[in-house]
Amino acid sequence: MIHLFSYLHLPRRHLAHTGHDSSFQSRSSAARLSLPIILLSLLLVLFCSTGLLACGGAASSSNTLLFGAPISLTGSTATEGHLTLEGYQLWVKEVNAHGGIKVGNTTYQVALKYYDDGSSPTRSAQLTQQLITADKVNFLLGPYGTSATLQDEAIAERYKIPMVEANGAAKAIFSRGFHYIFGVLSPASEYAKVMLEAALSLPTPPKTVAIISANDSFSEEVATAARDFASSHGMEVVYYQTYPSGATDLTGVLTALKTSAHGSVPDMLLGSGHESEAVTTMKECKQLNINAKLYAFTVGPATPDFITSLGPDANYVLGSSQWTPQERYQGIDFFGTPANYERIYKQTFGHEPSYQSAESTAAGLAFQYAIQNAGSIDPQKVRDALARLNITTFYGVIRFDATGANTFKPMATIQIQNGQVVTVYPKEVANAQLLYPTPPLSQR
Amino acid sequence: MLVLAVRSLPVRRLPFHREVSAMLIAQVIVNWLLLGSLYAAVALGFSLVWGIMNIVNLAHGAFILVGAYTAYWAFTQLHIDPFLGLPLTMLLLFCLGWVVQYVAINRVIRAPFLVTFLLTFGLDLLIADVVQLLFTSDRRSINTAYSGFGLTLGTLHIPFDRLLAALIAVLLTAALSLFLQRTRTGNAILATGMDRDAARLMGIRIDRIYALTFGLGAALAGAAGAMLVELYPFDPSQGGVFTLRAFVIVVLGGLGTPWGALAGGLVFGLAETVVPLLPGIGPGYDDAIAFALMVLVLIFRPRGILGKAFYA
Repeated sequence: MIHLFSYLHLPRRHLAHTGHDSSFQSRSSAARLSLPIILLSLLLVLFCSTGLLACGGAASSSNTLLFGAPISLTGSTATEGHLTLEGYQLWVKEVNAHGGIKVGNTTYQVALKYYDDGSSPTRSAQLTQQLITADKVNFLLGPYGTSATLQDEAIAERYKIPMVEANGAAKAIFSRGFHYIFGVLSPASEYAKVMLEAALSLPTPPKTVAIISANDSFSEEVATAARDFASSHGMEVVYYQTYPSGATDLTGVLTALKTSAHGSVPDMLLGSGHESEAVTTMKECKQLNINAKLYAFTVGPATPDFITSLGPDANYVLGSSQWTPQERYQGIDFFGTPANYERIYKQTFGHEPSYQSAESTAAGLAFQYAIQNAGSIDPQKVRDALARLNITTFYGVIRFDATGANTFKPMATIQIQNGQVVTVYPKEVANAQLLYPTPPLSQR
Repeated sequence: MLVLAVRSLPVRRLPFHREVSAMLIAQVIVNWLLLGSLYAAVALGFSLVWGIMNIVNLAHGAFILVGAYTAYWAFTQLHIDPFLGLPLTMLLLFCLGWVVQYVAINRVIRAPFLVTFLLTFGLDLLIADVVQLLFTSDRRSINTAYSGFGLTLGTLHIPFDRLLAALIAVLLTAALSLFLQRTRTGNAILATGMDRDAARLMGIRIDRIYALTFGLGAALAGAAGAMLVELYPFDPSQGGVFTLRAFVIVVLGGLGTPWGALAGGLVFGLAETVVPLLPGIGPGYDDAIAFALMVLVLIFRPRGILGKAFYA
C-alpha cells in the first residue's frame, strides 16, 4: 500500500511526469501532504480489516468444541445473516447454560467463531477454508443462502469436516454427491407449494397466477416447482418471468404482468426471490395500481423488516415459513416447544424470532445430538451419526435423507394480518383464517 | 402503433388484444421516461465532479445513501415529506461534500488518478459503514399518504410520486445547466474545469471552486437519495449499485454537460423498462444490454451521446 504514496517523496521533476502540474502547491506543502494521507489510509485499512476481525468468539481450549460459520452480516442479505447469527448464538448460549455436550466422560462447552462474508459466496468459501485451516474449528455451521452454501460445502467436503446448514434449500446443494453436508430445512420445492395449497383450499380459489422469480438457482427452482404444481392443480399460469437477482426496479416485469391474465390482472401474484425484491414488488404494485386478489412471496413476509418497511401495505400478503411459533411440536431438546423457543428468543434478543433464526438454532441442535449419539468428536463418526439422526425438536423433525436434505418436515403458510404474522395453513397448526381477497392497495 | 391506436379508436374499436397492447406500450413509454429521468438525478453529481475535477468519485453512492437516510430520518422523526425536505437534504449533503473535499480530497487532487480512486473508495466504505452503524442493515422504506395515487387513463397509470421525482430530476438538470452557463460562479467552475492554471491566473480560488463543485455533486446525490428512498426499499449495501449505475450513465451520456446525464439516464432506463417486454429476451438481460450499449457508445462515440471535451 505504501508504495502508492511513494511519489510524494520523489523529486519535483519526477512529479511533472505524472501529468499533473505542480505549480499549484509549493514544495513544502507537497511534503506536508504525506503524513495526513498516510494516516488516513491507515485508518481506512484498519477500518476495513477490523470489520472482519471484530467478529468471532472464544478461543478453542481442550474442553471446548469450536463451531465455525461464515455469515452475511453486511451486503444484500445482511438482515437474514443477522437472524442466522442470532439463531446460532442462542443455541451456543443455551447449550452451555445446560451444561454443554457430554461425550463419554468429558463434557464440552461450545464456542462459535464467525466471519462476515459480505454476502459474497466467493468470500464465504475463502472464510470457510480459513475457519478450517487457521482457526481449526471442529465443525461447520452453514452460511446464509443457497449460493454461499453451494460454495462452502465443497470446502467442507474437501477437508471432510461435517457441515450442518440451515439456510440453503436448493436441490442443487444436495445433488452433488457430497457426504459432509446436511440441511435441516425443507427443500426448495416446498416453499411455493405450501402457499398454492393454501390458496387452493379457499372456497373460491384464484384461477390465474403470475409467477415472477429472481434468477438465482434457489429462486428459479422454487418458481419452476410452483409452475408445475399450479398447472397440475387447475390454476392457469398466465405469466412466468425471471428477473436479475437483486434488481432494484421491477416496473418492466410488473407492467407486463398487469395485463397478462387475458387483459387483466392475474388473481394471484407469486414472487420467488428475496426480501428486498418482495418489498419492491409490493411498493411498485401500489405505484402502478396493480391489484391482485392474493400476493404471495416465498421469502420476505416472515422477516420483521417486511412489515416495518411496508406498513399497512404488508397486510394480506402470504409467505411461506420453515417454522412458525404457532406450530405444535413437542421436542426432546431444551427448547421443547415452538412457543418456548419464541419466549427465550424474545428474552435474549428483544424481538420475535424469524424462521431463519429457528432453523439456525436447529442446525446446532442437530450437531449436539449427533455428537452425543456418536460418543466422539471425531468428524467422521459425527458425520455418520448425523446421517442416522432422527429426532423431533421445537423446530420439527430433523432427519436427513441419503443426500443430506431434511425431506421429512412440512412447511407452513403465514399471512400478515393487522401488522402481525399469523399462521393460516396447514389447518392443523393455523391460528387464523386466510383473509381473501386482498382489498385494493390504494384503499388502505 | 400507439398513435395509430388512439386515432382509430373513435372510428372503429380495435380488437381487444390490440387495444391492450397499445396501452401496454404507452405504459412502458411512461415507465421509461419516469425511470430514465430519475437515473439522470442519480448520475448528475457524479458527472459534475468527474467533468470538472477529473475525479471518479467512488463515494457517490455513499452520498446517495446519506441523502436517502437523511430523508428517511426526517420523515420518521420529524414527519417531513421527502420531497418537501429535499432542500434540507441537499443543504446537509452540500456541507458534507464541502468538508470531505476540503479535508481529504483537496490534498490528493494533484496525485495520480489511482490515489483519488483509492481515497474515494475508502470514503465509500467509511460512510456506508457509519450509515450501517447508525441505521443497522435493516431494509428501510417510506410510505407516504399519497403513494399509490396517480393519473389513470384506462389501464395507463402514472404514479404521482414517480412523476414528481422525474420532474424534479429534470428541473435539477436544467438548474445546474443554467447555473453553470449564466452565473459568475458557474462560469468560474467551468473555467476551472477547462484550464485550472489559466483560471487561477484570472483570480479564481481553485480550492474554493473545487470544494463548491464537490459540495454540489454531493447535494445532487443527496437529492437522488431522498427521491429513491420514497420509491424503493433501501439498505446500506446499495451505495455501490448506484455508483456503478452513475458511472455507466455518465459514460453513456458523456461528460461536459448536465444534459449528458439525462441522455445517459434515459438510455440506461431503456434497458430496464423496455427490454423485459421484448418477446424472447426478458429482464434477465437488462444489465447485459445496458453494458452492451455502453461498449457500443465507447466504440462509435467515445465522448458519449452528448459529451464534449470539457464542461463548456
